[in-house]
Amino acid sequence: MNAVGLHYGEGPDVLSQIELTLNAGSFHFLTGPSGAGKTSLLSLLYLARRPTHGSVHLFGTDTTSAARGALPAIRRQVGVVFQDFRLLDHLSAFDNVALPLRVAGVAETQIKDNVTELLSWVGLSDAMDALPPSLSGGQQQRVAIARAVVNRPRLILADEPTGNVDDAIAMRLMQLFIELNKLGASVIIATHNQLLVSQFGFPRLALSDGRVEELPPLSAVPGAPSPAGGTSDV
Amino acid sequence: MFRTDLPLGGDSASRFVPWLMAIMVFLGTLAVSGVNVFDSILAGWSRSVTGTVTVQIPPLPAQDDVSANLDRAERAVRALEDVGAVESVRLLSGEELDRLLEPWLGTATPSADLPLPALIDVTLADRSEDAVAAIAAAVTEIVPDAVIDDHRRWFDRLVGLTEAFRLLAIGITTVIVAALALTVIYATRASLAEFRDVIDVLHFVGARDRYIAGQFAKRTLETAAKGAAGGFVLGLVAVLIVSWLAGSVESGFLPDVSLGLRFWLSVPAVAVIAALLAMTTAYITVLNTLRAML
Repeated sequence: MNAVGLHYGEGPDVLSQIELTLNAGSFHFLTGPSGAGKTSLLSLLYLARRPTHGSVHLFGTDTTSAARGALPAIRRQVGVVFQDFRLLDHLSAFDNVALPLRVAGVAETQIKDNVTELLSWVGLSDAMDALPPSLSGGQQQRVAIARAVVNRPRLILADEPTGNVDDAIAMRLMQLFIELNKLGASVIIATHNQLLVSQFGFPRLALSDGRVEELPPLSAVPGAPSPAGGTSDV
Repeated sequence: MFRTDLPLGGDSASRFVPWLMAIMVFLGTLAVSGVNVFDSILAGWSRSVTGTVTVQIPPLPAQDDVSANLDRAERAVRALEDVGAVESVRLLSGEELDRLLEPWLGTATPSADLPLPALIDVTLADRSEDAVAAIAAAVTEIVPDAVIDDHRRWFDRLVGLTEAFRLLAIGITTVIVAALALTVIYATRASLAEFRDVIDVLHFVGARDRYIAGQFAKRTLETAAKGAAGGFVLGLVAVLIVSWLAGSVESGFLPDVSLGLRFWLSVPAVAVIAALLAMTTAYITVLNTLRAML
């Protein structure tokens, strides 16, 4: 992100002069008080909006000036876990998770194998045919996470991904993110959960007054997984 | 029928499109059937009158002697038989004249009681205008006040009327197509607004505009096909009822109207084309609308 600023309508800047470079394979927590602009920052990265000024480069492409036709290919490399999940209520848990694969034209047999395995991994093998409204908040969150990671994205953005689950499930989901990070995906997790931030020794991106500051890990807990690191830019 | 990522039912397209399609296809079926029927009538009349000439021998004024009138007609027949362009000549009998008058006068009044012209049906071997002129010359030499009718003027008017009906049918079809397209555009835009959240999610997971437009198109085709099928069945029933009623009228006014192969090909085509038109309109509408989004 180069000198990125964002405001809504005629309102004040939500983000201002953001300078941020993420290495491929990095893992960050995005922290900051409510209203600091965490969700707005993530929305620029999953291309929900363009910055008011500045530029955002993803995987070598300037998304700010890229043609609309070039955006789907970039979006397929970004997995997003929304704070409000944004599951499609008329589709089953299976079909929600299968969505990124279907839009990419993956064969149905492969979709069935991948989605079934992933839903089993997040503990939802018995709820594959369930519609989201019939699932608990925690179950919906797991479906949303499965949808975000099913096509092995290069960048995973998660907005409060453990906010609705118990500690055991939260640990399991974090483990999933860490595994994907070890496989090469960059991960940004926006969270208020200081315990989570301190439990896993990953560097922080602290948002305050519309600006972001890169901070070292809060404090590494002995035995906790370490970041995979990376060398090239996202 | 199709797998779709969009919710089915309850939105504007699902509510309006089937009804709209049913009405439009019903009207389109009637219009196309009308053109088919008129073409069929025209072809039938064309077969029956082309290459024939009717010669009228008027009755002599104040002449009660039926045999004198008959003699004039028979002399005209013999003169016509000598014309080279004539294939056959036939003087219509009293019974045949009665049948021609029956639609107007019923069966109570025999033609013999009326001062009617004798009618001679002439079939031409040569259909040129010269042949008609030769017939006129041969007949008027014997019967100067004979009337020669080669049906051309009548037939030309009939062709003009049929063309007018064809243009009317084309006009109706154009209005139907325009109304169909505009309503599908409106319904699709309304559905796009209703499904904005779904479309956003599809975009975020990497769906291209063509994928989303394809989803809408499949969905529109499914709902449109249901309506088109209903309109087709209703239209077909209406046409068959009219056809049956026309066939049951024992009258010389109405020619034999049969629903031929062209009818059975063109009428289902109306429903199929209407459904495909709705699908294509929805596809293009979605593509154009999505271009305004990020």
